[in-house]
Amino acid sequence: MSYSTSVQELIDQLGRLPGIGPKSAQRVAFHLLKIPTDDALKLAAAITEAKQRVSFCTRCFNLSEGGEECSICRDPRREARILCVVEDSQDIVAIERTKEFRGRYHVLQGAFSPIDGVGVDQLRIKELMSRVGEEDVEEVIVATNPNLEGEATASLLLKFLQPMGVRVSRIASGLPVGGDLEYADELTLGRALEGRKTLAEGEN
Amino acid sequence: MLVRALHLKDYRNYHTADIEFGGGLTVIVGGNGQGKSNLIEAIGWLAGIGSFRGVADDALIRVGADSAVIRATIESGDGREQLIEAELPRIGRNRVQVNRQRVQRARDLLGVIRVTVFSPDDLSLVKGGPALRRRWIDDSLVGRHPRHDSLRSDLERILRQRNALLRSAGGKLDADAEFTLDVWDSQLAAVGDALRQARLDLLGEIRPHLTRAYDHVARRAADVRADYVSSWQGDLGAALIGSRRLDVRRGVSTVGPHRDEIELSIGGVPARTHGSQGEQRSTALAMRLAVDAVVRAAGWSPVLLLDDVFSELDPGRARALLEALPDAQSLLTVASDVPPGAAPDHVMRVDRGTISVES
Repeated sequence: MSYSTSVQELIDQLGRLPGIGPKSAQRVAFHLLKIPTDDALKLAAAITEAKQRVSFCTRCFNLSEGGEECSICRDPRREARILCVVEDSQDIVAIERTKEFRGRYHVLQGAFSPIDGVGVDQLRIKELMSRVGEEDVEEVIVATNPNLEGEATASLLLKFLQPMGVRVSRIASGLPVGGDLEYADELTLGRALEGRKTLAEGEN
Repeated sequence: MLVRALHLKDYRNYHTADIEFGGGLTVIVGGNGQGKSNLIEAIGWLAGIGSFRGVADDALIRVGADSAVIRATIESGDGREQLIEAELPRIGRNRVQVNRQRVQRARDLLGVIRVTVFSPDDLSLVKGGPALRRRWIDDSLVGRHPRHDSLRSDLERILRQRNALLRSAGGKLDADAEFTLDVWDSQLAAVGDALRQARLDLLGEIRPHLTRAYDHVARRAADVRADYVSSWQGDLGAALIGSRRLDVRRGVSTVGPHRDEIELSIGGVPARTHGSQGEQRSTALAMRLAVDAVVRAAGWSPVLLLDDVFSELDPGRARALLEALPDAQSLLTVASDVPPGAAPDHVMRVDRGTISVES
């Protein structure tokens, strides 16, 4: 059986969303058709509203609502000398929750992944380099994900940034806080040992 | 290690099945298509998170059902019992539990049940292409050290990334291409060097067992060898730079552990091309026995799963194999009768998905 054109169109559009396969798209589409019209229109309105109000910050490419620059870039209290580079805007939300970081951000809008067609030109690397050149940045913290693509992105950034003479650091990876050494997998534990911290320098 | 009980729901041709196993040798008798191999395949699934017959999970779910369930009670060497469950849904991810606790990643299950599988397809280890022998050594590596599973999956992913990058260069190795290749080459070099070293170490452990097992199964001394032939010399990072021009032109990575070969020889002659059918079969059996011996020497006790291997063996080899099997729980499927020379502790019959215990 095939669906009427408008239903099929809805399924196709939903199926293009990340994490939604053909089966889920079908389920969501039928759910939307079943619920009261008002509820469905609220969803449509929310999408329209968000798309109209939200854009990408012209400086750091974070999501920005009501302005060319995002609220973090506009905030004069944020330290301009430290720049934290992340893959996506969601990562900023995660780091902000720690309240540990007072610098600014730069969103690459992805990770180096040739399979997905993402290379140097698809990432906001040129923009990052001009910021490092123009904004008196002293340190760039590379906070890409600790997976293969994130590590590749980190070494790519290092190759671009090292010649510019800026300090480049990478976030540590290792054991979860409150965790147990005994239950850590070898890879994580190995990384934790590699990235260990000196507590006392000793006298030798 | 012992598999004490197996419960299946909607697995292959089984609606439900509950089977209890004893120690020692169990012979499972059943005609073709009755479901005898499915029983040991299900145990194998829990050990290797996949069918040893190389079938996609989807094909393991009974036709008309939404998901299959495999549940096994195993007893480890120290007498501790563990309940292992896997649910394989047609849609969505597999769910795996150990002692009713959800396991986050399926790979954390590796090593909980250990098996050594013998199947008639093993002949292709000797006769088939190098990819099958790489798979043999890598599977054995994961069986020996489950943590090596990440080396293998990382290698696959890095190669896909690097090959995509090579193809996007459009056949030209310009400065931009070199610049970005550096990034993936350093990752490939780290994983590739580590994987080759791990394979070489394991092969070193396997070698004496392989020669001994062959001599036993073939009932003559023949100096069987397995030699690792690498696609690069020295440091992989340097080799990758050297092969870049060629790689960009071909759009694939031409050096790395994915291009290495394990050459099998019998008395100095290549087994693949010069071995007789009987010699090749003995070599394949010896490869399985040797890895089993290595895993046992490391302190584990895998359950032996022998899937219909005796139909292909002459009586002499069959007897020699039975003698060569270590003292462990063994589940052996046969199409017609208990093989000559076998002294089973238990016999089961499988008929159209129902199981009866004879002794």
